[in-house]
Amino acid sequence: MSTAIDQQVETFQEQFKRVREEVSKVIVGYGEIIDGVIMSMLAGGHVLLEGVPGLGKTKLVSTLSDVMRLKFSRIQFTPDLMPADITGTNVVQEDAMGEKFLEFQPGPIFSNIVLADEVNRATPKTQSALLEAMEERSVTVGKRTHKLDSPFFVLATQNPLEMEGTYPLPEAQLDRFFLKLKVDYPTKESLHTILNRTTKNKEPEVNRVLGQGEVLDMRKPVRAVPIARPVQDYAIRITLATHPRPPFALPMTYKYVRYGSSPRGAQALVIGGKIRALLKNRVHVSCDDVRAVAYGALRHRILLNFEGEAERVDTDTIIKGILESTPEPN
Amino acid sequence: MSDREIIIAWLKRVERRIRTNRLFRELTFGSTLFFIFPLGLKAWDLFSPFRARTLTIFFTLWTVGFGAYLVWRLLQKGTIGQAAASVDTKAELHDEIKTALWFIDNPRSSEWVDTQIRRAARDAQAINLDRLYPRNVPRTSYLAVAMILVFVALNFVPLSWNHNWLTLQAAPAFTLTDKEQAILELTKELLIRAEKLQQSELAKRLEDIIQKLEEGKIDPSQAAELLEDIQNQLGEGNLDLGSINEGLEEIAKDLQQFEKTRATANALMEKELQIAADELRKLAEQLQKNESSKELEQSLQQASENSRPGLEDLTKDLKEAAENLKNRDQQNAQDALQQAAQELEKLQQKMEAQQLKNLAGQQLQSLEQSLRQRQQNGQQSRKDQQQGQPQSAQGEKGQAEQGDSEGSSQQSSLGEEGQADQLSRQPGEGGAAQPGSNEGSGLMPSGQRGGNAPREGAPTELDVKLQAEKLAGMKDQGTKPEDIEEASKQERSRLDYRNVKSELSPAQKDLLNQDRIPWEYRPLIKNYFQAIRPTPGGGGPAGHQQNSSSSRPVGPTPTDKK
Repeated sequence: MSTAIDQQVETFQEQFKRVREEVSKVIVGYGEIIDGVIMSMLAGGHVLLEGVPGLGKTKLVSTLSDVMRLKFSRIQFTPDLMPADITGTNVVQEDAMGEKFLEFQPGPIFSNIVLADEVNRATPKTQSALLEAMEERSVTVGKRTHKLDSPFFVLATQNPLEMEGTYPLPEAQLDRFFLKLKVDYPTKESLHTILNRTTKNKEPEVNRVLGQGEVLDMRKPVRAVPIARPVQDYAIRITLATHPRPPFALPMTYKYVRYGSSPRGAQALVIGGKIRALLKNRVHVSCDDVRAVAYGALRHRILLNFEGEAERVDTDTIIKGILESTPEPN
Repeated sequence: MSDREIIIAWLKRVERRIRTNRLFRELTFGSTLFFIFPLGLKAWDLFSPFRARTLTIFFTLWTVGFGAYLVWRLLQKGTIGQAAASVDTKAELHDEIKTALWFIDNPRSSEWVDTQIRRAARDAQAINLDRLYPRNVPRTSYLAVAMILVFVALNFVPLSWNHNWLTLQAAPAFTLTDKEQAILELTKELLIRAEKLQQSELAKRLEDIIQKLEEGKIDPSQAAELLEDIQNQLGEGNLDLGSINEGLEEIAKDLQQFEKTRATANALMEKELQIAADELRKLAEQLQKNESSKELEQSLQQASENSRPGLEDLTKDLKEAAENLKNRDQQNAQDALQQAAQELEKLQQKMEAQQLKNLAGQQLQSLEQSLRQRQQNGQQSRKDQQQGQPQSAQGEKGQAEQGDSEGSSQQSSLGEEGQADQLSRQPGEGGAAQPGSNEGSGLMPSGQRGGNAPREGAPTELDVKLQAEKLAGMKDQGTKPEDIEEASKQERSRLDYRNVKSELSPAQKDLLNQDRIPWEYRPLIKNYFQAIRPTPGGGGPAGHQQNSSSSRPVGPTPTDKK
């Protein structure tokens, strides 16, 4: 007996699958990255993509905007980029009577999908211009607050290698990203496919399969998926284990972590788990779902201490230890 | 049935199945672990048998421990929450049942929750419980069964020292040696035979003592004291066989003077009291024919004057017969002779019983000495162990050897064949010349009653084994203690002094004084055996190789005693 909820789930899976398939026409491999990006968008969050140049990060975002028939803007972050270059500014205008007035000229932030390319190259001042937009979905210029269109989705990229002349994102900024996805170098087979697709006269074209309204509709069932208290407790224990405080901290956490995940990390675990559950045709969140999104949801929310930085400890290693040592509820 | 009820009922089934499998697995595993102990103990028992008390304590503790383990495991019940978690893991349901159960316990008005529960119920019903939790026999159960079989088999290993615990057999607290067992059996037989002749429950008492000893209720020293009590009881009311034999010989000499009583006299001389009684009855029948009885009267009168302890009734009857003959009262004389014949028969029974009691007393003494020796050896070995002397093992071995040699010496003097001979010998049969109480091996120093005995050979030399005694001493003026080992001059001999009066009961003295070889023939027999004795240089008899054997001292050499 099929119910409305079953149909919702089925629709969700179908639409998600269509978007993924369309994006995959252009982006070779990176299935998990694609899923993570779509999941973040459906969760109402933002994504920080980290990877060396030339891996297709920008291409992924532009393709996603093409597939979803959403307004897309790209901001290349540079050291001389000013906040007004992002948010927009009031400019003096003359009316027909010759009187001058200030008129707000929206910046590139006023889009559905914003690509903040090489976000760590801008100064912290400029980076902070994204804070209000990412969390409040609004931009305040002068005394006026301008609402952003929904969905609003920021995709930021950063290069982990060229650290000279960069400004690492502040913790508050990092915490606003739903997931941080690491874009690794493609495999040999993927490279073959990339070359086959990009060295011909005709590049692959994508179809717009999802509109603005459909994206918003897909967001509705996500938060309706029920999660049992034991599973939620599991997510909370994982989150607390990232903090160097008893009773859940590991020796490794005590040694290398200065500060753990904020409650946003737990939210990301649960919401990401819910989306994954829907994708797996389930209407409940399992511990597997929580574990699956733990790396993307927590890796940028764990702040290493001096010892961790000195030893170049990867936060993924800490998360792996936490997942291995946190027992599932019985 | 709602989806919630379906899930709950199904989870209860799962919980029962999981519990059953777990119990079976844990019980077989626990049984395997627990069976290691009795199996190991049984294997150990094959080399060093355990007493019943040890086994009782062990199996009590084992049963309590095993029972506690079983109760502990049986009382452990799982929850349906644990069952749900198990099902989720095994069936890869990704926490579906667990989540559904949580929402059943924490109801929430939500279509999504209802859908989740409905899906969980559907998936649960689709699961084959027998496939998910099959009823398989754990491997440990085979091991447990194998261990039980080995345990049973070990109990039936056909070894003489193996005890079948399944039939509640265990090694006794105290084990008699084969020699001691033979002595015990012989003593019991003697006592039973003696009981038939006289009243006594000594055999039963003896069995009780040995049973208590084997059960560990008394130690060997206590058993030896009880055996000594039985010996003392055996010695009570003993006949003075020497005096009786002498009296009978004197009566026989008096009766030999008259031709018609000569047969009776000869029988008395040969200690054939039954024959003598028959002869007296024949004599009584002849009196009925009114024959002349003057000589008979005198003969009986003289015989009746030989009154000795134990022969009062016999001499009284003989005297009565003589007086009746003197009074021409043939009938009363006949009755008196019949009475005398009955007295002889009674005397024969008494003497026979006395001999059996003497033999039993002798065996009991051997048994008592053996027990005391083993007690002493045990104490010595414990003392050595406490002192931490490294030669304790050697000392125990030496003592054991010493004990064996002692046992063999006793056995040689009271060997089974000799005992059997003594048993088969009827009283009076070999008593042609019953020596006096002071008569021994024919080498009497002065011989008050054995004055007729030939005095020849060297005096008896006893091999006296002295116990080594350790004396703590100081070497010079130093501080280092030194142990000095030497033979104690005051130690008692370990050989039994059979001729020491104070240590022998009357029954034992009588037994020792029994000698079937008349004094007249002893030198001849001795010379004969010395003549045929092999010489160290050659294998032939000494008499055949050298004629000087007759010039050698006739008495026994020290080696003869060995």
